[in-house]
Amino acid sequence: MLKNLPVMVVVFLLIAGYMMPIVARWDRKKCAPLAALAMGFGVLGSLVLMNTVITSGQPVTYNLGGWIPPWGIAVKIDYAESFMLVLLTGVGAIILWYASGDIGQELGHKVTGWYYTAFLLLLAAMLGMAMANDLFNLYVFMEVSGICACALVAAKGDREATEAALKYLLLATIGSGFVLFGIGMLYMLTGHLNVDFVALQLRRVWMFYPTVTWVATSFFVVGFAVKSALFPLHIWLPDAHSSAPSPSSAVLSGLVVKIYAFALMKLLYLVFSGLFTESFPVALAIRYILLVFSTMAILGGSLFALVQVDVKRLLAYSTVAQMGYVFLGIGLGSPAGLAAAMLHILNHAIMKSCLFLSAGTFIHVAGVRQVRDFAGLSKTMPWTSAAFSIAALSMIGFPPLAGFASKWYLSEGAMQSGEPVFVVLMVVSSFLNAWYYLPLVGRIYSAGEGGAAKEDIPLSMRLPVVLLAACCVVLGLFPKIPLALVYRAVDKFLLK
Amino acid sequence: MNLWRAVLSNYPYLVSLVLFGIGIATVLTRSNLMKKIIGINIMESGVFLFFIASGNIRGSRAPIIELGTDGVLYANPIPSALILTGIVVSVSVTAFALGLVVKLYKFYGTIEPEEIIEIKSTGR
Repeated sequence: MLKNLPVMVVVFLLIAGYMMPIVARWDRKKCAPLAALAMGFGVLGSLVLMNTVITSGQPVTYNLGGWIPPWGIAVKIDYAESFMLVLLTGVGAIILWYASGDIGQELGHKVTGWYYTAFLLLLAAMLGMAMANDLFNLYVFMEVSGICACALVAAKGDREATEAALKYLLLATIGSGFVLFGIGMLYMLTGHLNVDFVALQLRRVWMFYPTVTWVATSFFVVGFAVKSALFPLHIWLPDAHSSAPSPSSAVLSGLVVKIYAFALMKLLYLVFSGLFTESFPVALAIRYILLVFSTMAILGGSLFALVQVDVKRLLAYSTVAQMGYVFLGIGLGSPAGLAAAMLHILNHAIMKSCLFLSAGTFIHVAGVRQVRDFAGLSKTMPWTSAAFSIAALSMIGFPPLAGFASKWYLSEGAMQSGEPVFVVLMVVSSFLNAWYYLPLVGRIYSAGEGGAAKEDIPLSMRLPVVLLAACCVVLGLFPKIPLALVYRAVDKFLLK
Repeated sequence: MNLWRAVLSNYPYLVSLVLFGIGIATVLTRSNLMKKIIGINIMESGVFLFFIASGNIRGSRAPIIELGTDGVLYANPIPSALILTGIVVSVSVTAFALGLVVKLYKFYGTIEPEEIIEIKSTGR
């Protein structure tokens, strides 16, 4: 059982996902418990895997079909991967809990079963991406997650959602086309698809084919930058994330864009190890481009967010800005920078899910979507408003909250690489964040009729949000807990 | 001169890059949604050709090993097997995209984004 656990986690979610429409036809009420069961197994499995990795200090590997790596497909779970697994399943489970209360009313009961299908398949595909140690396997899971993510956007079925889903699908396919081209070049250079063997072989052969190697690197950067919405390539994100149903927005903003950034980090630092980390001109150029674009993302995303009147669009542009932090960490490449990037992947997943879910509650229960109608919400929905405010303050980077920890370690990373200008950037971006989040929080707590709540908020929509807000506080007070794991992961990234 | 000879003798790679470029240009410059989807398919064909070409050896045979035929070159079957999966992925993406386009056509009665924007701005 334990030996097969890595695959079981993915397969269990896949099977549960495909069972959902049948179960929904039989009895709609049984969908949510079954999905919860599958997610619960995912969370437990990921925790067991993380525990195994930490206690043994060795990566957990699994060879599919019993074929050993150069020939067969391998799955490998190391510190970084186990961190991502726990993050994906944990936040995914909380969002699913919220969705069980929300989705029936938001989308109509007819599509509930199919919604769970897309959700569980997306989770399974992201887990597969996180643990894949085979480049083509990574590509296939990437496409599955791309299609499921578009399905989650299109699930609403209205005009905006359909347009946004098509735009997302087209751009995501261009991104994966670039990634597949890059994989093809690596296969041509090395004759392997397994990450470890590609890395080993690439270090031997790359100086004979420098052009192909660097073109492959650039293709990976471009492909994953499109998929994780780095600033000039972000145009699909605000439409897709704001027109989707609220649980979809949370999972798209919180998890989906992160897994692509993580995959890029893994490729750059594990596959191109010893190339990307050295001071070759092209490697420096790629880093420089990453740094410039992430700076533009941090400033541009916030500036666009400032002028939004729709709360979900505002949150979507804020995601563009926050992805800038992650790419800044990747571009800096110092131990603290990479650790901050991974820490921010975790912190932002929790903060942004909390914001999108509580905004979803505002939209669903009070019927307010425009920022100006938010006045007085705190009276009718005290818990949800408190959670929203905590997450918003955390986003700005108030000291005892999670967002502060990310910014602190990112600044440390910038100092470590001798680029103090990015510390200034952190401060400026905190001011920009405060500029659009503080009025929002102020308006929630100001006097007003607050779009009087039409009905009681179900417990399944209130508790997940509060839980996420509590996570913000805990991670802000004790950032060392995830960092202990993250630093070990980063050591592996920078080892060779 | 040497470069040109190298490029010309490896023409499948050149063709695959050209296809990739045509595909991307089509997606980015054409506004018609159907043309965009066709562009995606052209782009993916370019990638597929690249994979297949990397597995081919000039003068090689299909990798079906017969006894008593030593010294025969066989093509690498792995890229072809991978691309079979790639084609399946590409077909499903195309099907999904076409489904979305059909839905948009039902909403607006057109698949030209300019006309869609016009319909939206005038309030149908």
